[in-house]
Parts: sequence; structure tokens; C-alpha cells
Amino acid sequence: MLLSLKDLVEAYIDLDEEKVLKIAENLLKSGGDPAEIIEACRSATNIIGEKFERGEYFLSELILAGEIFNSVMRIVLPQLKKEIKPIGIIVLGTVQGDIHDIGKNIFKAFAEAAGFKVIDLGVDVPPEKFVEAIRDYKPDTVGMSCLLTAGIESMKKTVDAIKEASLRDMVKIIIGGGRVDKTTCEYTGADAWTNDAATGVRIILKWAEEKRGR
Amino acid sequence: MKEPIDLWIERHEREPDVVAKEKFDRFLKAAELKVPDRVPVAGLFGDFLCEYTGITWYDLSYNLEKIRPAVLKFVHNFPSDWGIIFAPMMLEGFILGLAFADFPDFSNTIRFLTGPVHDILKDKWSQWPGREIKEDFHPQFRGGEFMKPEEYKQFIENPIEFIHGTILPRACPGLGTPGSPQWNAAWIKIGMTMQKIASFQAQLIAEIGKMGNIGFPLTNAYAPADVIGDFLRYPTGAMLDMKRRPDEFKMACEVLVEPILKIATAIPPVPPLTVFFAPLHLNEMLSPKLYNEFYWPHLKKIIETLVAKGYKGFIFFEGDHSPHVDTILELPKGWGIAWFERPKNFMEVWEKLKGHTAVMGGVPTSLLIGGTPEKIDEYIKDLLSKIKPEGGFILSPGVNELPKTTSVANVRAYINAALKYGVY
Repeated sequence: MLLSLKDLVEAYIDLDEEKVLKIAENLLKSGGDPAEIIEACRSATNIIGEKFERGEYFLSELILAGEIFNSVMRIVLPQLKKEIKPIGIIVLGTVQGDIHDIGKNIFKAFAEAAGFKVIDLGVDVPPEKFVEAIRDYKPDTVGMSCLLTAGIESMKKTVDAIKEASLRDMVKIIIGGGRVDKTTCEYTGADAWTNDAATGVRIILKWAEEKRGR
Repeated sequence: MKEPIDLWIERHEREPDVVAKEKFDRFLKAAELKVPDRVPVAGLFGDFLCEYTGITWYDLSYNLEKIRPAVLKFVHNFPSDWGIIFAPMMLEGFILGLAFADFPDFSNTIRFLTGPVHDILKDKWSQWPGREIKEDFHPQFRGGEFMKPEEYKQFIENPIEFIHGTILPRACPGLGTPGSPQWNAAWIKIGMTMQKIASFQAQLIAEIGKMGNIGFPLTNAYAPADVIGDFLRYPTGAMLDMKRRPDEFKMACEVLVEPILKIATAIPPVPPLTVFFAPLHLNEMLSPKLYNEFYWPHLKKIIETLVAKGYKGFIFFEGDHSPHVDTILELPKGWGIAWFERPKNFMEVWEKLKGHTAVMGGVPTSLLIGGTPEKIDEYIKDLLSKIKPEGGFILSPGVNELPKTTSVANVRAYINAALKYGVY
């Protein structure tokens, strides 16, 4: 019977969903620490992210990895004795006028796997909703996603609204989506941009480290 | 001072027939990998059109009377060699084409979703301005999961029947129960609506034609795996199915090939050029391994069959298609036009495909949105100096949808640059 965390990480990196779940179940049954299982999943998703950035893995693999993470969490989280302190809070949403959510959801899964608490505002999120969420949750980071080119305008509006509410200095802002790039980032006034969840999470991890170092 | 675009607009007014003939030859030559007089420049669309002409997406989706003057003004002021303004046919509705694949007289018309037809179907695939979303929002395709993973078997047994009996009632509450008075009435209403829209479009296209513009007969195709991702299982579900139910997924693609070909061939190929349009969606999300196993084989079969029948392909490769570009070389030389949205390195793609495939794209949409006229001019000058003297190239942004804040000066700079630097 497969029981070790190392086996779990290996199966996870191979994206063998069935095997990962079986190992996680076995580990829990034999009294394994749920927090350690989560940590193992975290390191596996990290490696998958690296593989993505190296061009070895693609979006299809990230989606499967996110799915595996969510499945493992469903069985592990109820067994967790005390909540793990998140390494940061991120408010996330697809911007106003856009209802596409595939990219946002992968980013969410990877950010959660990396240890962030994600406040998901959903799709078609107006600027004022982002502002309200910053006030309510005091996040370190705001993540905005869009697929449509029209969403780029909404991103700019949202950044402007955050500035107007005098909250800009409190948060770092990252924008993501297939059609954003450096030019878009400068235009919208965000701090960083990404076309993919793996790179995006690496950026917010770096921000979290910088914040801790301060 | 008059810029090249102004002179071109004047020529459209003065000698529309000559201008149209030039465009016809130019585009045809590019599609045939030959060297035209100048690199053809593709037209633009999107929120920018709404903003510029003072209409909303609601108007563009529902208000036929307002579409006409807006489109005519836009086409006049921002001329292009070839443009696609499908209004009011705004969104993907290929599943409806499939549902009626055996009826060539309308399978190609019902293939696009329109706002008025959405109002009858109340389909959950799409959201429309003034309905589910605000009037000034672009109509949006959302898709969804309307087939359960365990239903592949039923789908494979008889896809058309399964679409009618199971998918349509689930995804389109406006239809009611199959065979009910509501169901029958809905289809009659859809037929009447489509007739109105089709005759409106025919008139509009004729008017645009009189202003010095061209069009080639266009039919429609689709990648089988995208039918599953877009309309049945959602892209995420489709990708998971490739891992969890590989054989069923492949069989489902296999049984879709024939009905897709039926839709495409409903419009016969007319020389010198009839294109079949297919927008790809899952392509950019897949690893080469999954692409080569689950996506490309059936799409390739469709392209090859249609090319052999005398059509040329016109494929929109969404996202970054770079990892899969080599597969295009498996197609016969001159098979058609490949429109690339945002390959990581456009020149690399061009270098691979030139002389084999007509390539469309090259201008990052973000440059038109966030750049300056000077930057756009410089970028296109540089791009075309690398592309030429080779033919078979059509200049276009990655997507032709521009947001409303795009500056008029930027759009003019794009057209100006094509006119200035595109001459062979």
C-alpha cells in the first residue's frame, strides 16, 4: 500500500488523480497529519507551476492539477484540527463586463495551493465591489482577470477606483488573462501582469516574501 | 495634411468598383500565397465601433435599423481590404448548426447566435446586452456543462438526436419540452427571426459592397473537440474527460466529423475562393500531447476533406498556438489562411509557415489599445520589412475587437502604416 508523502508528491506531479486521492485517503486513515498532506500538495503544485513555466506542462495540466488539489482538499480539510494561517490574502475577480472564469479559477486553485486565502468575487465584478472587498478583507493583493479586450478598460477603471478610495497603497495589483501584456499593465496602472496562473502565483509569492521581509 | 488613409477613403468614394477589384485581387493573391500589389489590411470592430458611431452593443445585437448607418459610417471612415462585421450574428451557436446538420438550406444560418434568437431559446450558453448584461456590454459566450460525463455513450450513439432530445431542452429553457406546443412555436419563431436577419444582412452586405468592399463566400466548420468544450462539457470538463475518458472523448469527436462536414458543404465551393471559417478554442489550452491525440486528428480530417472539395480554410487560432504550429505543415500547401491571435513569437510562426500557409495577424491588439500612433507606425514598418518580399500575408491585429477607449488616431495609424509600408 502506498503511504508516503513522497509517493503523493510524485503521483501529483504525474497528475495521476486516482493515485493521489488513494494515497491521501490511506495517509489520513493511518493517522497522517492533514497539514502535512496539504504541504505535500503545495510543493507538488509548485513543481507543476515550474514545469508550466518551462513549457513542459500546459494549461490542460494546470487545470488537472487544480482539480486534483480541490479533490484532495475536500477529503483533507474536514480532518484538519486547526486552520492553517494563510501566507496572504488575495481578492480576486473577473472584471466588469466580462463573465469568463477559466483563467480566474485556475489562478484561484494555484493561489490556494500556494497558501493564500482567496476571496473570490466571481465574474462581472464592478470597480466598487473590488473597493468594498479591499475595505472588508484588507487583502495584500488584488487580482483582476479578463478575457475580452473590453475588460482591459474595466481593469483601468477598477485601478482608478481603488486610487480614488485612497486604498492603492494598501494593495499590490496583478492583472491576468490571455489578452493582457506589459502595455496593458502600464495602461491600467497595475503592478504586474501575467498570461498564466503559474507565473501569476510566483509573482504574488514574491510579494508575500517581500512583505514578510519588511 | 492628408494621410494615406484619407486618400484611400477618397478613392472609395470616387471609384468604388476599381477599389473593390483591387481588394479582391489583393486578398485572393494573399490567400493563394502569391505576392499582391500590397499587403492586405484586415478590418476592425468591437466596442470601438459602438463608441465611434454612438450606438450600444444592445443596438448592434437587436436594433437592425441602427446597425445599418453605424456600420456604413464605420466602414467608410476606417476602410480595410477585408473585414468581418457579422452583426447582429454575434456569438457561437455551432451546436444549433449541428442540430440541423441535415438541413443544408439553413444549417449555416442558424450556426451563429443572435440576440433575437437567444430571446426565444433563452439559451444558457450566451448572455446578451440589455438582457442578462448591461446594454453597453459585448454579448458573451459563456458555455457551460450540459452533458454529464456518463452520457458520452448516448451522445456517441446518435449525436444529433442527443442534441435535440437532451442538450437543447437542458440548455434552452425557452424551448420547453420536445414536441410541446411551446417547442414547436419556438422553432417557427426562430425561423421567422432568422429570415428577417438574413435578409437584413444580405442588404447590408450589398450596400457595403457598393462602397468599394468585397466579400468571398463563407461557410462554417468547427473543431469536434471544441463542440464538446464549448457546448457540452465546458473547456475544463472537456480537458478532464481527455484524461478520465479518453476513448469516449475520441469517439465523440469522430462522430462529429460527418455532421460538421455536412454544415460546411451546405454552401458549395465557388471559384476562385470559398472559405470555411473555424474559430479554435481549446487549442491554446492543450499540451502538444493532448492536442495531437484529441484535437488535431479530427480537425485535420475536416480541413483536408474540405480542401480536397475545393474550399480554402480560414482558421482562427485562438491564444498562443506556437506549441502546435508544426502540425499545420501536415496540411497540403495552400490549404488556406491561418489567423493567429497572439503567438509568443509571431516571426517564428511566419518563418515556419511562409510559402505553405497564408498567415494573418502580426499586430498585438494591446499595441492598438495602449500604444501611440508613432509606436504603431514604427512597429508595422518593422514587421512588414521582415515579412516582405514574401507574399501570402494579411496584416491584422490578433483579434479585431477593440475596446471603446481605443483612440481614432491609433486605428488610423494602423491603416496608414499598412498603406505606407505594405506595398510590394
